[in-house]
Amino acid sequence: MKAFQFVRPRSSTEAAQGLADSADARVHSGGCDLLDRMKERIEEPAVLVSLCDAEGLGDVRIEEDGSIWIGARVTLAQLAESDVVRRFLPTLGEAAGLAASPQLRHRATIAGNLAQHTRCGYYRVKSFPCLKRGGDSCPVRADGGVQDTAGIFGNAACASAHPSSLAPVLGSLDAEIAIRDAKTLRFVAFADFWAAPAKGRASDTILKSGEVIEAVRLPARDAKQHVGFAEIRQKKAFDWALVSCAVRYETDAEGRVTQARAWLGSVAPAPYRATKAEAALVGKAVTDEVAVKVGDAALADATPLAGTTYKVQLAKVALKRALAAAREKA
Amino acid sequence: MSDDAPREEGARRGLTRRSLFKGAGAAAAAGAVFRSLDASAKDDVPAGPRTQGPGKAKLTLQVNGQSREVQAEPRETLLEVLRLPLDLTGAKPVCNRGQCGACTVWLDGTPVYACSVLAVEAEGRKVTTVEGLGNPDDMHAVQSAFVEKDALQCGFCTSGLVMSAAWAVGKHGPDLSEEQARAACSGNLCRCGTYPHVVEAAIAAAKTAKKGG
Ligand SMILES: Cc1cc2nc3c(=O)[nH]c(=O)nc-3n(C[C@H](O)[C@H](O)[C@H](O)COP(=O)(O)OP(=O)(O)OC[C@H]3O[C@@H](n4cnc5c(N)ncnc54)[C@H](O)[C@@H]3O)c2cc1C
Ligand code: FES
Ligand code: FES
Repeated sequence: MKAFQFVRPRSSTEAAQGLADSADARVHSGGCDLLDRMKERIEEPAVLVSLCDAEGLGDVRIEEDGSIWIGARVTLAQLAESDVVRRFLPTLGEAAGLAASPQLRHRATIAGNLAQHTRCGYYRVKSFPCLKRGGDSCPVRADGGVQDTAGIFGNAACASAHPSSLAPVLGSLDAEIAIRDAKTLRFVAFADFWAAPAKGRASDTILKSGEVIEAVRLPARDAKQHVGFAEIRQKKAFDWALVSCAVRYETDAEGRVTQARAWLGSVAPAPYRATKAEAALVGKAVTDEVAVKVGDAALADATPLAGTTYKVQLAKVALKRALAAAREKA
Repeated sequence: MSDDAPREEGARRGLTRRSLFKGAGAAAAAGAVFRSLDASAKDDVPAGPRTQGPGKAKLTLQVNGQSREVQAEPRETLLEVLRLPLDLTGAKPVCNRGQCGACTVWLDGTPVYACSVLAVEAEGRKVTTVEGLGNPDDMHAVQSAFVEKDALQCGFCTSGLVMSAAWAVGKHGPDLSEEQARAACSGNLCRCGTYPHVVEAAIAAAKTAKKGG
């Protein structure tokens, strides 16, 4: 790593002020992702504004209106063990408990998990050209490019995939991201938090340099809503998802879906909302046959590369499994 | 214990931001970042956030129950500081990217990858390495069980696996199940494939343990 100054603000406001003062500062939370990039020297910030001493960012709490507030520094281990999460947001606890390894879950925070950069092997190694690092095109898409973990949606300019397995769950639960800058706190809907890949833009979020994620807020959840999560990996543990999927739906008295959310992870540069799956669910009772149709609808627009055609089928299976889990989990 | 355990003591100790700026020549450019805040500070009341580096500064770490002082830059990882200035070579550098587990140590009692923690972050927190768990004359139950159950081959992953297994034993006590032992050790890779013996060793050690101990 290149030498840097380590700044330890006491609050998110102080952190935002610090960031606003420097073009070359980065937020440091658990460091699981950021330090890797710095060790590879694909990023060489002069300043790390660390949240390690910042107060008020480490709790999960229920607000008066029933919404759930998850502080930016809440770790994946905390999410997996929190009673509030287990009771009201079971799919989030499940995804957090399955991610990475115990050592990483003790450090990795929810904000860092959302703002982490792609694991694309070209992006992560300085000697490769990469659109996100200012190159002219995406080497994944080139002849002979290694494509196996690449995205199958929104991949025309850059075929990276957003690696978070928590993100589809937060999408399915209509999360909002609370963002602090030096003066204000604003809330951004989950779907609006993401920025498409562009030349020289490494981050996949809309966060600007003086902004800090303060929390993730989840609206009060009606206990009648069904939720389900599924993740497909090569290894049983300590592995990234090839595809992850989270769903949430409500049904009427006859068991027909009235409203649905379906999100996929690791299939696009940002978490991917499968609106066609949602449309295909509404009005139907969720059966295995319906789940297959929902999968076909969701993947109809996929644009896989030669190396990622398998992901289309995998995503259908993940959707089917998430729906099967949701049938049981009200 | 969570990552967010209070760390008042460590946070207050050490140099003020102001004195650091004076000493850190190379820091000039980075220091400019916070000058605006600094200018408004009254004498001897440190304004704004505490700042360290980029040069070396004194750090006091609580390692294996002892207070240890080192000079380190913020970019030095806990693993680097444990191995070089502190000469504790039990935690191994293998991938240096949070992907293998050979560097596993406990921070406030929970396993973390020392290669992915900055040494400056560990101030005021309890660091435990495999050396702190026990030594050849006075081994921890998990260490003896590794010997008894032949849970190692080349040994490169072993100190990390011992830390994960000992954590599982402390957390679950005598009721430690095979599934729990496997889950606790899932962030440690072993090229020699010692996993089944590691799980046996963890369960054997757990039988001798008290819950939470
Ligand atoms: C071997 C391995 C396996 C993994 N497996 C999984 C998995 O299965 N599923 C999964 O979801 N993830 C997985 N991860 C990723 C891991 O969960 C993330 O790296 C981690 O969550 C990042 O969080 P952090 O707090 O360490 O972030 P950091 O590394 O501190 O930060 C990551 C990025 O977010 C920015 N950032 C952090 N906090 C804030 C904030 N409050 N405001 C604004 N910006 C911020 C930083 O500037 C940085 O760019 C794995 C990682 C490894 C190394
Ligand atoms: S050396 Fe730290 S996890 Fe491999
Ligand atoms: S004993 Fe050789 S790597 Fe585990």
